[in-house]
Parts: sequence; structure tokens; C-alpha cells
Amino acid sequence: MSASITGLLKPWTPRLFLVRWSRYNPYYLEPEPRKEVYHIPETELTPEQKEERELKSVRPIKAATNSVTSSVFNDPVLSKFVNMMMKDGDKIIAKGIITQTLENMKRKQVEKYHKAPEGKKAEIECNPYAIFHQALENCKPVIGLASIQKGGKFYQVPIPLTDNRRRFLAMKWMITECRDNKHRLTLMYEKLSQELLAAFSKEGNVVKRKHELHKMAESNRAYAHYRWW
Amino acid sequence: MALHRLSFRLRQTVAQVRPLHGSGCGQQQEAVGMELETRPETLSIFRTQENDPACQSEQHLGQYYTVPPSHFHTVFPHGLPPRYQQQVKTFNEGCVMVRQPALELISHLKRADYSKPTMRYLLYGVKGSGKTMSLCHTVHYCSTQGWLVLHIPDAHLWVKNCKELLPSSYHASRFDQPIQASNWLRNFRTTNEHFLSKIKLRQRYVWTKRESTEEGRPLGELVDMGVSRVKSSSDVVGAVLKELRLQAGGTEGGFRLAVAVDGVNGLWGRTTLKKEDKSPVAPEELTLVHNLRKMINNDWCGGAVIATLSQTGSLYAPSSAYLPQELLGEEGFDSMDPFVPVPVSLYSEKEFESCYLYYLDRHWLQHPHSRTEEGKKELIFLSNRNPSVLERLCAFL
Repeated sequence: MSASITGLLKPWTPRLFLVRWSRYNPYYLEPEPRKEVYHIPETELTPEQKEERELKSVRPIKAATNSVTSSVFNDPVLSKFVNMMMKDGDKIIAKGIITQTLENMKRKQVEKYHKAPEGKKAEIECNPYAIFHQALENCKPVIGLASIQKGGKFYQVPIPLTDNRRRFLAMKWMITECRDNKHRLTLMYEKLSQELLAAFSKEGNVVKRKHELHKMAESNRAYAHYRWW
Repeated sequence: MALHRLSFRLRQTVAQVRPLHGSGCGQQQEAVGMELETRPETLSIFRTQENDPACQSEQHLGQYYTVPPSHFHTVFPHGLPPRYQQQVKTFNEGCVMVRQPALELISHLKRADYSKPTMRYLLYGVKGSGKTMSLCHTVHYCSTQGWLVLHIPDAHLWVKNCKELLPSSYHASRFDQPIQASNWLRNFRTTNEHFLSKIKLRQRYVWTKRESTEEGRPLGELVDMGVSRVKSSSDVVGAVLKELRLQAGGTEGGFRLAVAVDGVNGLWGRTTLKKEDKSPVAPEELTLVHNLRKMINNDWCGGAVIATLSQTGSLYAPSSAYLPQELLGEEGFDSMDPFVPVPVSLYSEKEFESCYLYYLDRHWLQHPHSRTEEGKKELIFLSNRNPSVLERLCAFL
């Protein structure tokens, strides 16, 4: 009985504290996760950096999200890919799939490397991160299509794409290709590693899709003047 | 407390450990050195040319030795951890690190008196510290010394996930596991080919009304029968174990028997198997477990029992448990008692350096930052020098 009364006398505190909301007072500054910035000695700071440091000592700072780390192995492109793979907010599974993919790619390449004759060894790329970035570059479209209405009809007009949009399209195509067009019983990391290795050597379905988009844009050149921006 | 006292008493019976400096091994080293002199000098920091476990000593601690490819499929058809098997396939070579627990075990085996009852050695340590690899190193030593090796890769596999549980024909209340027994017999045959024709049976075994194996037949016939007649394979396993136990310490044509059991804590405890009326099966009601327990008893001589504790495959054990008392339980501890405990610790600084250099040499650490000092510090911090955690981290870096 005494426990319930003391429970009522305590001030109410919520059981769950949300540490980082996405809406902050604009007064708050962004956190700086990189370690190199803090190792610059006092004498070598530029005037802007000195001003920034003074500002940071008086203003409050937003809490850092779980995905940013000060680790040397942090890769923003890979984090974006993980977020796009994620379903229902389950980042652990998505991150696990990506790490297994990287391991699988590296295993295949290193095995090939060790079995190759001396002359061919230099051509085999074993770094899974280099393969991932190069494969993504090979999948990025240069030009895109937009649906523009003119005179009651809709025309597919070729438009330039921003860097973010290109990266998004490459990642989206890669993920949908692996989810839909592969054999049902193969695991996701196996499908992804096969597709990434193919894209690295400019083969495979994703690169084909990029080429088809380019061809469509080329064939619709005549409507390019419908774009007004 | 009791464990410490018993091990102390046992340590006095086993002779002192001294490093071996055999002249024969030195000659072997020179010969191998001649072939590989084209390799640059930096490799020799973490690699050693001494591929024979008998000649390895404390000066080789922390260095990797290569298991010759010819030995691989005969000595280790089933004993190695699955991630290590993948690593061997990727690197195109099998390298094992020479570590303190394995060297200690090998020196005990060299110095033991084989006319006395068998010594039991128990490797224990936290998850991922290298117990199974130390066991495999010791098994390689026993193999190269010409011992008969009885390697049970994981005793937990016999007490869980059994699709077919037949009631035993030999004993009414026991259960047979045909698939597991025949698999094990097949691997046993691969490991010990040369012994199978030499050992003769000392007793007549009757399997059914029409089938029996006479006295004096070679052991190979018994094993072949067990592999082909899957139904009686568990009883064949029991017969094989009994014959080996009787003949191990024999003076005429005597061989030494090494019983290597991984995950020995699975033999005592609970199983996840159920009888037809949904009541749980106790481990002693399984023929394989019953016979293996008789093997682990120290009532025979002429060999050694080397066992490993394992929490990873164990049933109904908390994940933080790693000490013998916790994992074996009362019954298990009383059966294993007295034994020589061999603790397996995480990598020391020297061993970590060696492992890091090995991965660099095999082109396994590909991330550009992992080759820097900061990346190395981060690897030490994240893995806490735990061998299996380090391996998993380096896999995707």
C-alpha cells in the first residue's frame, strides 16, 4: 500500500525518452562526428573555424543519430544503401545483409585472386567497397525522363538529373532487381553480390536497364524543348 | 575451489613441460627453408616453416604453420569449425596458429605414461577463444604421430535435431540414431584407413538372425557393415568403441588411442528429443551417448581423452557460461573428474599482431583504412582480441 502512495507522490516522468526528434529549434547546431576536426591544434585553425568553435561553445547541439559514427570505416553511400534496403525500420537485418554481401564478394574475388596465375593477379579487384562504388557508378543513369503534359497528351521528355536522384535511381534499381527478378530460394546477399559483381564489369540487368533508359531518352530527343527549366 | 585443488594434484603427477629442441626437426627446417627461400623475409614474422606439430615449441608461439594439403582431407573430414573451412577454401591453404593451450596439451601427451589409466584433458574458455582450433591442432599432432584418432566433431549434434529415432534392438529402453551414427562411421573410416585392416576383433558380434561378424575379422569390415546397414549403425559404433578400448593399451601391435570430443558438455544435461508419447529423452537413453560416456571413463589405458566445452551448440545453458562447473553440471563434472583443465584465453598482443599480418598477407583486409594504425586500434577495440569476433569483423572490412 505504501508503494502505491509513494508512486503517486513522485513527479511523473515518461517511461520512454525520445532523444532525437527530427524537429529541433533552429537554434540547435549539427553535431560533428569526424575525429580529424578535433585534432587540429589551436594555431592551425582558420578564422572561420575559430568562429565556429566559439559558436559551438555557447549554442546547444542536436543529438547524433545512430547511423553516424566517428569510425574510420563509416561510409555515407553504404549507409544510404542500407537505409533503402531496410523494411519496417529493421536496420539490423539490412546491415547484416550488406555485411554478408561485402564478405561474399570479397570471398569470391580473393579465391579467384589466389588461384590466378601471377600475371593476372593485378587485374582482379578484391576490395568489396571499391567494387560496390564502381558498380553503383556503372548503374547511374546520365539522363532521365519526365512526364510533361502538353496539349492534352503526356510526353516522355528527357531531362537532366541531379546527383542525388541518379544515386537514388541506381540503388533503387539494384534493390528491386535483386528482390524481384531472381530465383526465389537464393538468399538476398547472394543475389546482391552476383548483381554487384556483374555491374562492376558492366554486365547484368541493372546496367541493361540504364542503357534502355538512355535509348528512350535518345529516341525522344525531339520533345526536349518541352522542358522549360 | 575443488577444481583448483584437483588440478593441482594432477599437475604433480604429469611431468614438467619443457620445450623440445630435436635435431631431427632442425634438419627438416633447413630442407623446407631451401625451397621457400624466394619468399621475402617479412613473411617469417608470422609464419613458421615448422609444419610438424611434434617439433613446434615455445619459440613458434603466435606463428602460423601450414597443414599440408594431403593431410587435410584425411585428418579433418569433419572436425573443423565451418567458418574456418570457408577460410581454407578462400585462401587456398590451411594455416593454424601455434598457441599456448595446444602446445601445453601436446607436451602433456608427449610426457604422459600410457600404462596408467587414461588422462582426461578439458579445454575451456569464453566463446570464440579458439578451443576447437586448439583441439584440431592436437588432433593433427596425434595423427602425425600415428595414433588412432576418434574425433567426435560436436557431441551436441547427437542430442538435438534428430529426425529418426529408432528404438534400439540391443537394449529395450534405449534409442538409436542411424543417420548420425552412419555419418560418423564414414568420417571415421576416412581418418583411420590404415588402422582398419590391422586391428582384429576379439569377440563375435551378432546383428540379426542371419548376420554376424566373427572373431578375428578386421575392424574395417565392421565399419563397412555399419555404413551400409544404417539400421544397426549405432550398435556398430558401440562395438567399435568397445574393441578400441580393449585393444588400445595392448603390448602386441598396440596403438595409442586419442578420443577427441568437441562440446563434451552435451553428453550430460538435457536433450531436445522426444519419445512418441512426447516425454523428453534423457541422454543416457541414447545408444551413442551411452557408449561415448563409457569411452570417456578412465577405466582403460593406452591413450588420452581430449575434450572441449562449448556453449554455442549447447541446450538450456546460459550464454555467459563458460566454466567447466557451469557447463558440465554436477553429473558431468563427477564423471569427468579428475581431469586436467586447459584454459584457452583470447589473443595476446603478439598473437593479435600475427593474425593481423596474416590477414594482410592473404589480401583479406581490403578496406584502405583497415591497413592504418587507427583502423588497427579500432579493430582491437571492437573485437577485444577475441579470435572469432575479429574474424567476423575482418570478413567484411
